[in-house]
Amino acid sequence: MGDIVVLVKPALNPDMVRSKPDGTVDIDAIPLKLDDIDANALFEAQKLKQVLGGKIAAILVLTWGPADKRAKDLRMVAQEALARGADEAHIVADDSIIPGDPVTTASAVIATIKKAGLNPDIILVAEASIDQTTGQIAGRIAGKLGLPFISFARKLEVKDGKIVAERDLEEHIEVLEAPLPAVVSVTQEINEPRPPTLIQIRRAAKKPQNYYKVADLEGVATPVKQGLEYKILTVSRKQTIIEGDTLEEIAEKLISLLEQEGVIKL
Amino acid sequence: MVKALVVGSSIPEIREALGAVASVEEKVVLAYGKAAEDGSLEQLGVKVYKLKSTHPDHIVAAVEKIFNELKPEIIIGWITKNNRAALSYFAGKHDLPMPTDVTSLKIQADGLVYTRGFLSERATAKEKVPFPAVVLINQKAFKPVETSGQSEVIEITPEGEIVKLLEVKEKALSGINLEEAEIIVGVGRGFKKKEDLELAFNLAELLGAQVGASRPIAADYKWLPEDAWIGISGKRVSPKLYIAIGISGAPQHMAGVMNSKIIVAINKDKTAPIFKQADYGVVADLYQFLPVLINKLKERKK
Repeated sequence: MGDIVVLVKPALNPDMVRSKPDGTVDIDAIPLKLDDIDANALFEAQKLKQVLGGKIAAILVLTWGPADKRAKDLRMVAQEALARGADEAHIVADDSIIPGDPVTTASAVIATIKKAGLNPDIILVAEASIDQTTGQIAGRIAGKLGLPFISFARKLEVKDGKIVAERDLEEHIEVLEAPLPAVVSVTQEINEPRPPTLIQIRRAAKKPQNYYKVADLEGVATPVKQGLEYKILTVSRKQTIIEGDTLEEIAEKLISLLEQEGVIKL
Repeated sequence: MVKALVVGSSIPEIREALGAVASVEEKVVLAYGKAAEDGSLEQLGVKVYKLKSTHPDHIVAAVEKIFNELKPEIIIGWITKNNRAALSYFAGKHDLPMPTDVTSLKIQADGLVYTRGFLSERATAKEKVPFPAVVLINQKAFKPVETSGQSEVIEITPEGEIVKLLEVKEKALSGINLEEAEIIVGVGRGFKKKEDLELAFNLAELLGAQVGASRPIAADYKWLPEDAWIGISGKRVSPKLYIAIGISGAPQHMAGVMNSKIIVAINKDKTAPIFKQADYGVVADLYQFLPVLINKLKERKK
């Protein structure tokens, strides 16, 4: 029976962006969270598991460091993945591949699949992450493994050893069929994940979390990307709340402000 | 000598990507899909390979073939879904770096220095990668080239199909071009039912605005066509005025409106994150406030 591998990214939380006095991003101070669309991928994996059997293995590669300071965040993200239906979590946390590079991350995922003895029928990956939004890990894994690749899936069905998916493009939808095993990137529209229940959260604490260093794995690529500067975008908004005794007064004030700004003409 | 392969499915994409690598001596083009059928391909003044398919597997095989022949340092195109799918597969196969959503690019002797959006567009990243590299550029971030001249055109036969295309379904689209709109009224989950969007449409009509939406409205409830969806997976817009109504301000949505000149937020929840990212905020129930605002605008128009 084939396993389902789900990539889970411990992502920088864009809602908690922190900056240094010089206007650069204080990356180390931004907490990690389970990436948004990963919740959809995990939810879809639970549906597929009913057809495929096997187990759901979450693979996490830490891309933001330093690893020892991130240990708690990382454990929480893994625990949430387990509460959201994964049966086990495999986690690569190693400062030598931090900050992450997609070239490295894809190779670390593949190395982890091998090391953990997983036999995936499907590798599910979110179409993009919220911190980096490079949207390339799924394609990279498929390319490296030479597997069929279905991107931007908004609907999935597995039967008779094949996967049929609806692929969401800019102007139309393609219905595709691929043999298993396959790599699939999913969009947020594929399902509406339910938050984990208390029982699921409790059970998650007992599920295995296996940690790996790069030295435990084979074939992890060396990072090639060099970070030069990470700057906070200072689009300073006025953040003015328009006050007034009546809605009429507020509406009038709003209209005249917009006229002063030159953005409406009446 | 640096060589570049430009990959695209339309002439504007190709001209812009050619513009991004204007300083590169040798450039060739892979035109697929619609672009392969476009007569103006003959006028690009560079060597053009054309592929009459949009299947990512076919694009991968074509890129592979040109990559092996030409050995380009740069493979570049717009950040479209087919480019992303095909080129990420190709980049993975060869372990090449692939910066995406690139907004500026400097071609150096030993690699590329670029800037891109980071943290759902709340920050920018400046990074460097060595050659060869795949680059996906943001639409309209670079100046298109206006080159002309006879192109040498070579047709590539589609091959290498692994995934089978069973059917193509049309999406219900409105055809509105939000990217070009000067004023946009954005609607979110604060609206309780589809019929209530009428309020937003009335406001939009008075302002000469287009109506866009956050993800739940366009993608989940389907109250509006999908091309009205604004956000990181939808459209990225840059109007003079964006009026967000009943939108809480999730980062995925706000990333799509960052380039608006003025943002107005109307929301009954005074703790909604959108107020921190707006120029002007109105803390009020949209069902009470919009009729008043619409009336005031009508009075002023008289």
